[in-house]
Amino acid sequence: MSVLEHRQRGLLDLVKNRGHVPRDPYLRQVANSRELTMVRKIALWWRAVSLEAQCRFTARLLKRLGCFDARVGDYFDRHATSPFIEELSLGFLASLHDHGDPLVRSIAQFERALLNIRSGSADTYEIEWDRNPDRVVLALERADELPACEPDCRYRMQVSRDLPGMVACSRELAA
Amino acid sequence: MAGAAITSRTGARPALATTYEGDDPDLLARIAPLVDFIEISPDTIAASNAGQVHLRKSVLDEYAAVRGQVDLIAHGIGLSIGSFDRWNESYIHLLDELFGRFDIAWHSEHLGCTTVAGENVGTMFALPRTDEALDLVCARVQRIQDRYSAPFLLEHIINLLPDEPAAYTPAGFLNAIVARTGCGLIVDAYNLECDAHNQGLDIPAFLDELDLAAVREVHLAGGVVHDGFHLDVHSGLVVESTLNLGLDIVRRAPCLSAVTYEFLKEAVPMIGHDAICAELARIRTAIGQ
Repeated sequence: MSVLEHRQRGLLDLVKNRGHVPRDPYLRQVANSRELTMVRKIALWWRAVSLEAQCRFTARLLKRLGCFDARVGDYFDRHATSPFIEELSLGFLASLHDHGDPLVRSIAQFERALLNIRSGSADTYEIEWDRNPDRVVLALERADELPACEPDCRYRMQVSRDLPGMVACSRELAA
Repeated sequence: MAGAAITSRTGARPALATTYEGDDPDLLARIAPLVDFIEISPDTIAASNAGQVHLRKSVLDEYAAVRGQVDLIAHGIGLSIGSFDRWNESYIHLLDELFGRFDIAWHSEHLGCTTVAGENVGTMFALPRTDEALDLVCARVQRIQDRYSAPFLLEHIINLLPDEPAAYTPAGFLNAIVARTGCGLIVDAYNLECDAHNQGLDIPAFLDELDLAAVREVHLAGGVVHDGFHLDVHSGLVVESTLNLGLDIVRRAPCLSAVTYEFLKEAVPMIGHDAICAELARIRTAIGQ
């Protein structure tokens, strides 16, 4: 490995919070520096600004839950994030598929479906909600209180470019 | 090999350029009559679809609409000319697309690294000033010059991370690239101020050492101070010290072609159209002195 490769791979690991404290004296100096903290802060800030613009409902919900910055940081550290906002957003939304909160999963799937359709996808996306999605989106838009979960029913949403308004939703009573 | 054969000003004032990143036609209509060049950052007007990166047609059409009023220059962010393994090929596709659509007077890139082993780093690393990095960058500059006939310039970037022992001074490294490749340079006055504050760069010594005959463009911008760091976020107007430093370079660089006021698209709502136009008028007056 060349000196340049060693240096750049080391800096990438430091910015992405990966690996152990390096042995290399320069990288060790960087690892313990306030400059690294600032560089990382700037990198995360840019990712957050992009995601807030491109997936605003998911971002707003995660902020309400107090975990937006942590999720962005976690995603940045664990993934090879794209410099292009479209790929960054799709990747981030996909990473929420196993989130513990079903509402986060639903809103992320919904925005991901919309982004895919905007990019030309002809697929139909089906998303299940544990509460009325119209009221969820409205509450996030207006910064109102979120509707409560409705344990006795499910909302089944379809998103497709072939649907009038691209979205259709039906309410089903739980079995 | 195409060197930086931009027409020198031979005593005339340098041209005025500014950033425009699309989607704000009112701003474009107001700034186009005030400047000679519009600076296009291909990365910032690109979209990615299923891994295919392309320039957004709607923004290209905006540039086309003002072609009679202004000339165009390109200023990249994502080539990653200093990556140990390879540059970013998708940026080359964007440049090909841009050159295919417009006559670009010259193009430029930052002397840094945004991609490591194919992974975007989320920021821009400065390069170690070593012979290894010099060889790598010069070979790539020459490839760029072989590919495009328009002159190519490199811009020094701020280094937020601790500096490391180097074989070259900051100016000496730039001079060595120029000597080997014949490329031109961009000097960013605000970047120099950031490095002076954050790294203790001696700006007068830097400028005394730099081959100022290679400087074709001066950048002016405003930034912020955050947690004690000067950050080059291009989010504001140009403060007096930056303008004065830029003017000092304008006076001393004999082949300068343009002075560019840069601002981020995201900062436009904060700065405002009126203030941007006033800033361009202020800079034009200043460089015309």
